[in-house]
Amino acid sequence: MKKIILLLLINMCLSTAAFAEVKVVTTLPWIGSIAREIGKDRLDITTLIKPNQDPHFAEAKPSMILAARKADIFMYNGLDLEIGYLPRIIESSNNPKIQPGKRGNLDCSQFIESIEKPSSVDRSMGDVHPLGNPHYHLSSKNILKVAEGISAALSGIDPGNTSYYNSNLQSFKDDLNEKLKQWTKKSLKGRRYVTNHKYFEYLARELGFQIIGYIEPKPGIPPSAGHIEELIEMMKKTKPDAILTTAYSGKKEADLLSLKTGVKVKVLPHDVGASDSARDWLTLMDTIIRTLE
Amino acid sequence: MEIKTISIMLILVCAITSQAYGSDIESRLSALEKTIQQQGKTIEEQQKVIGELKEELKKTRKEEIARAEEKPMEEPKTQKATGLFGSSALTNPNISLVLNTFAYTSNLSQKELELRNIPGYTNTGIENRKGFNLDSAELFLFAPVDPYFNLYATIPVTEDGAELEEAYFVTTALPYGLQIKGGKFKSGFGRINSQHPHAWDFVDIPLAYKAFSGPEGVTEKGVQLTYLPPLPFYTLLGAEILQGENDILFGSDAKPGPHAYTLFAKASFDLTDNSTILFGPSIMTGKTKTDSVADDTEFRGTSTLYGLDFTYKWKPSKTQSLTVQSEYLYRRQNGDLEDTVALTTEPLKRAQDGFYLQSIYQIDRWRVGARYDVLGLFKDDYILSGTNQDFGKKPWRASGMVEFNPTEFSRIRLQYNHDKSARDGKTNQELFLQFVFGIGAHGAHQF
Repeated sequence: MKKIILLLLINMCLSTAAFAEVKVVTTLPWIGSIAREIGKDRLDITTLIKPNQDPHFAEAKPSMILAARKADIFMYNGLDLEIGYLPRIIESSNNPKIQPGKRGNLDCSQFIESIEKPSSVDRSMGDVHPLGNPHYHLSSKNILKVAEGISAALSGIDPGNTSYYNSNLQSFKDDLNEKLKQWTKKSLKGRRYVTNHKYFEYLARELGFQIIGYIEPKPGIPPSAGHIEELIEMMKKTKPDAILTTAYSGKKEADLLSLKTGVKVKVLPHDVGASDSARDWLTLMDTIIRTLE
Repeated sequence: MEIKTISIMLILVCAITSQAYGSDIESRLSALEKTIQQQGKTIEEQQKVIGELKEELKKTRKEEIARAEEKPMEEPKTQKATGLFGSSALTNPNISLVLNTFAYTSNLSQKELELRNIPGYTNTGIENRKGFNLDSAELFLFAPVDPYFNLYATIPVTEDGAELEEAYFVTTALPYGLQIKGGKFKSGFGRINSQHPHAWDFVDIPLAYKAFSGPEGVTEKGVQLTYLPPLPFYTLLGAEILQGENDILFGSDAKPGPHAYTLFAKASFDLTDNSTILFGPSIMTGKTKTDSVADDTEFRGTSTLYGLDFTYKWKPSKTQSLTVQSEYLYRRQNGDLEDTVALTTEPLKRAQDGFYLQSIYQIDRWRVGARYDVLGLFKDDYILSGTNQDFGKKPWRASGMVEFNPTEFSRIRLQYNHDKSARDGKTNQELFLQFVFGIGAHGAHQF
């Protein structure tokens, strides 16, 4: 009997040791992917939004609140992208570590400069984000900064592993710079595309292609028949290279446009895990750039 | 001898050569003087150029300083606004306004509607006016107070004036998964009770809530403690101490001091990535003094309300979802019923239940829903002086609705109620056309 109790106790100690790793909760899959690059298996990462979900319209499910309850650090996209559910998750988590202003509350957008920041905004313009375009993760420049920020934040709450995080950050930077050479070699400069949502603006700036039209007349507003007609006219004149859509936005409108104009549709993963080949952030970018070519 | 001749010869040679170069030295000296003068001139010129350059440098520096002064200093990155609580207002609280307005019609006359109560349950009639109704314009204010508290206020403004419906703080810094809410707030009892009317899936509250807690649910002054343990699945435990001012369940004069208490638990699992269930029991108990049992009466005693709620949500994408929601309420009441006209008092025991089941299906911007409501499903005891009273048929209601949501900030809803709750055999056929619009800060939605 004593032996059994002893075994149980040892077991418990072992399991608590296994749980000593830093508990990271991220909203979006790409944030989890960057955290994984920095912390590898010393992090226990939970991602709340599934890759097939629209990050604008998730719900604060109790399971998300529970995950946040257990988190040492909570990382999110910011720029109001998660405004519909994030404040509730954070408050209802009853977890003081991840409240705004604490070390365990990491708004990843603080490390980047947002683009398309409107000088004035009201909701007649659709779901425009007053802080700028929140889809900043498809940019190596931004990701380098976010990776640095995540590494610093992890070192802040887990100082014992600082050198580990730093060396992983360095090797991630090296990998990224190596990839960047390949990506910039691809001649996407001057290509023109029509897209569903303002997902690829940061990438367009980085690789020199253009987005010349949107299926959504305004962000978050589905297209009317009139808008589609106008778009078809415009596309017939300008002959863009492709129509880009993401897995979660669906292909319905894109296929219709393609049928009417002969411009082909390309479905791109918008986040890590949204296609089989987009296993992490680097392969996500690889997949997108390969598909764009 | 030989040395002498050699030295003389050397001297001679020297003399000859020096004589031969004598005129040459003079010309070279003058040439040197000339070059020195020229160099002096070039130095002067160069100094002039240097002076000019210095002046130019000074100018550009001044310009740079002026430019820097014109430009505001870039804020350090950590000072950047985060999007967590909406950032457009950094010092002001977040403010939003929700307009809830509807047009209403019924086959019954306005007088019949006013008198249409639920006999044996509540004497509250129907307040809707035929034609245009303004439910309210609800003002929401919320913001963090400091690193320890968040503050919320709900101020519905109706035609009769403004009302402080909710005003409460929530702690954010307590350890061990604890949180305290205090002030005036919607009780965590059940499922629908803590939701704001504009967030309901139908225009009106289910019959069970109308009968046992009134058309607005239980909103009380008091304090709430919740505990979220770090278990493998979501379990929230809550307890409340409330003043007990709800007109139907308690009553502000029932007892001086707080006299209502709530306990609730919620559990939730994700069945798949896209489907979730949420369920839990609740209990609310307290002292009662109310005139809502029947007209010209006053009831004094104790009331206990038990609740069981269940919600299932399936949401495979943003364009499609299905919700099934149900609650079962059971109320026990024990005390004395006074006839305020005849001035007689009789003991009254009520043990009654109520149930609703509703389902909403969403496709793109459209939602359709159906709801079934019933009272006295398993238990309908109204025992006055030992005799169970019969008030007629079982009260029930069936509702259907269709909604169009242009964006998440606007909602247009058409609802039909087939209402048999008055127990007199008459049907109230109601039609609502409701408009809900929200402006201002983006509030986070409850699950």
